[in-house]
Amino acid sequence: MSNVGHRPLFLCLPFALAAAFLSCCTPRLPVDEGTLVIALPGAPSSIDPRLATDAYGTQILQMTHASLIRMDAAGNPVPDLAEHWEERSPTEIVFRLREGIRFHDGRVLSSADVRYTFAWILDPANRSPHRATYEMIQSIATPDPRTVIFRLTEPFAPFLAGMVRGIVPAGSPPAGYSPSIGAGPYRVDDFQQDAAISLSRFPGYYGSAPGIDRVIVKFLPDDNVRFLELKKGSVNFVLNGVDPHLLPAVLENEHLVMEEAPGSNASYLGFNLRDPVLSDVRVRRAIAFAIDREAILRTLWEGHADPADSILAPGFWAHADGIPPVRHDPSEAGRLLDSAGYRDPDGDGPRPRFRLTYKTSQNELRRQIAAVIQEQLRQVGIALEIRSFEWGTFFSDIRKGNFQLYSLTWVGIQDPDIYYYAFHSGQVPPQGANRGGYRNPELDRLVEKGRREPSRRKRKEIYRKVQVLLARDLPVFPLWINRNILVRDRRFSGFVITPDEDYTSVKAMSLSPKKGR
Amino acid sequence: MRGYLLARLRHMVPVVLGVVTVVFLLIHLIPGDPVEIMLGESALAAQKEELRRELHLDRPVVIQYGEFLLGLAKGDLGTSFRSREPVLREILRRVPATFLLSAASILVALLVAVPLGVLSALKQHSLLDHLSGFLAMLGLSMPNFWLGPLLILIFSLELGLFPVSGYGTAGHLVLPAVTMGTGMAAILMRMLRSSLLEEIRQDYVRAACARGLSRRAAVVRHALANSLIPVLTVMGLQFGALLSGSIITETIFSWPGIGRLTIQAIEARDYPLVQGCILFIAICTVIVNLLTDLLYSRLDPRIRYE
Repeated sequence: MSNVGHRPLFLCLPFALAAAFLSCCTPRLPVDEGTLVIALPGAPSSIDPRLATDAYGTQILQMTHASLIRMDAAGNPVPDLAEHWEERSPTEIVFRLREGIRFHDGRVLSSADVRYTFAWILDPANRSPHRATYEMIQSIATPDPRTVIFRLTEPFAPFLAGMVRGIVPAGSPPAGYSPSIGAGPYRVDDFQQDAAISLSRFPGYYGSAPGIDRVIVKFLPDDNVRFLELKKGSVNFVLNGVDPHLLPAVLENEHLVMEEAPGSNASYLGFNLRDPVLSDVRVRRAIAFAIDREAILRTLWEGHADPADSILAPGFWAHADGIPPVRHDPSEAGRLLDSAGYRDPDGDGPRPRFRLTYKTSQNELRRQIAAVIQEQLRQVGIALEIRSFEWGTFFSDIRKGNFQLYSLTWVGIQDPDIYYYAFHSGQVPPQGANRGGYRNPELDRLVEKGRREPSRRKRKEIYRKVQVLLARDLPVFPLWINRNILVRDRRFSGFVITPDEDYTSVKAMSLSPKKGR
Repeated sequence: MRGYLLARLRHMVPVVLGVVTVVFLLIHLIPGDPVEIMLGESALAAQKEELRRELHLDRPVVIQYGEFLLGLAKGDLGTSFRSREPVLREILRRVPATFLLSAASILVALLVAVPLGVLSALKQHSLLDHLSGFLAMLGLSMPNFWLGPLLILIFSLELGLFPVSGYGTAGHLVLPAVTMGTGMAAILMRMLRSSLLEEIRQDYVRAACARGLSRRAAVVRHALANSLIPVLTVMGLQFGALLSGSIITETIFSWPGIGRLTIQAIEARDYPLVQGCILFIAICTVIVNLLTDLLYSRLDPRIRYE
């Protein structure tokens, strides 16, 4: 027995050998090989522009697929595949394609491919989630290989925003998870579902050749792992994927640098206007006055967000300036609640004026925000019960109107027509996103007019009135607009952070010479 | 033996069917509309209704269940709502990663548990025994969501030995396998120790020593094999659990296994995929348990299945 006991070291041998072997095999960091490694907080459900709906799929498609137009940082359309376009009438838009554009498989991109892409989306048999976006298209004519004419059933001002859709070759069927072929600056070399996608520079790209040969996008759902990958250098580019509290620790790595730019993702507090308590605008305003947004932004967002006065970001062309901000004012909140008939039964005592339920997702930050709001509302005599759910259940409840208060974020707003979708009385689910059941004929009239008006100047005026109206009625309380935060290896430069987190400018990035790492 | 095997295989059917039925009912009972998730809020109401009809979601749950069983009988698990690919293909794509991680975790657990368990039993109440007891407690107490990042911090960031996350090389496998194998190693180690302690006090071990066999040989040749039966039972159960995937470990290490697929399917209310994943997990668990039972007779010839 004793001779067995004298050999504990043999236990360590396999591990030591394995460690030695693997340490020899550990590759150099990607930056040393000129590879940009992007981390996304989730995996895309599809890499086909006709089907992709999530942000991750859209962001990959911005690198692999070209569309007729793109939107610049201010939301203005700029040419991509189309070298120019013309609105012959409010219902006829003509696009002229660039010459000699090729898909990744070598085929020449023509007007037939553009027609095919949109016709495929519009075909009910294909069950595209984007069909509703193009319902106003009456016909698509292609008189020659470089001209595409869209005819609409009626004037539709947001039409151009919908043209930011990747074009696929005619006849290409959707192939499940397999990425579709595009004509963007990068082509797909390898796709490991739920793990990563590898892209390489497409030599036949019509525009300037991308500065970086190879891009890998890793799908890392865990916040801590994204942080650790960045720290190690095995990921060298993360846009809005680092917990605000972890940013100082990330930046301890001397090779990493942080950039901050205005964003467009608007968080808001939604009210159910069918609820007897919340149907009173004084109660909604009181809740808004009771919430100290500055404190939440300072402590939970580490200052990386700004208070919102609208769901449109201040830099967006349709944002209305001069809307009086809702300031934190608990006394005013108390007065409003008193005037609405909800007097505090015991002053500073524990009994509330009334109780409300606040629904949120299981995201940790969202739950912390809910807890802070709960405490702030308690101070004005409103008892808030927080209920957090798994996403599918939470969103289903919101869609069905089964809530009193909830908070969500509008992402990727490309056009002020969002107001039609979110507040028009005909857009109460299941049709649209007017989840709180807001009904106002004046607003209906304005948003209907706004989507038909071709002049941007006139649209801006229409949507200014819309924003003033919503600030008065407060069917939702805009909370804050998150800033976009990019953490990257300082040797990669040239990326332009747009408010809507567009990855198109990855093609403009370059790698500066090595200065010893 | 053959009769036993056939009987066990027959018993598998109601077990698997029961699991699948419960999951079918639960996934249809929880809130969440797959059509809303697939088409998004902006889709037209008519378009949603159209899709609901096309996917047969407008039919009563009982009819949908009947259709599901009919498909199952034909070997058709249906098509994923989300990817539009056959469910079987989706699952088979994840099987290699799942099996690889499960097997590697078992290997890690055995490499740690067998030597330490044997040594602890042979040197009961020694420093080594106390140390292994402490390690077992530690292994059991550390949740994977904590152990995984800790291992990454030490072995990936500080020592630079392994990649932080991902899938594809041997290096990618080590940390998730250690994360998943640690808890199992702790259970197996303590199980083996107590089981072996019981065996080495048996008369047949004493008799073997009296016949001139060294104590070490008597333990290794006779007692160890007998003590492995309860260990094998636990291992079988644990392996079944590993095959169903550890969602936490797979998420931390971005490992494309069945666990993550199941969670994504539930989040997307992808009913056919959820049912397919649960069916796969149930079948794997039942088969592993059957194999475990069959292995008993190899370890102990006295065990016979008639």
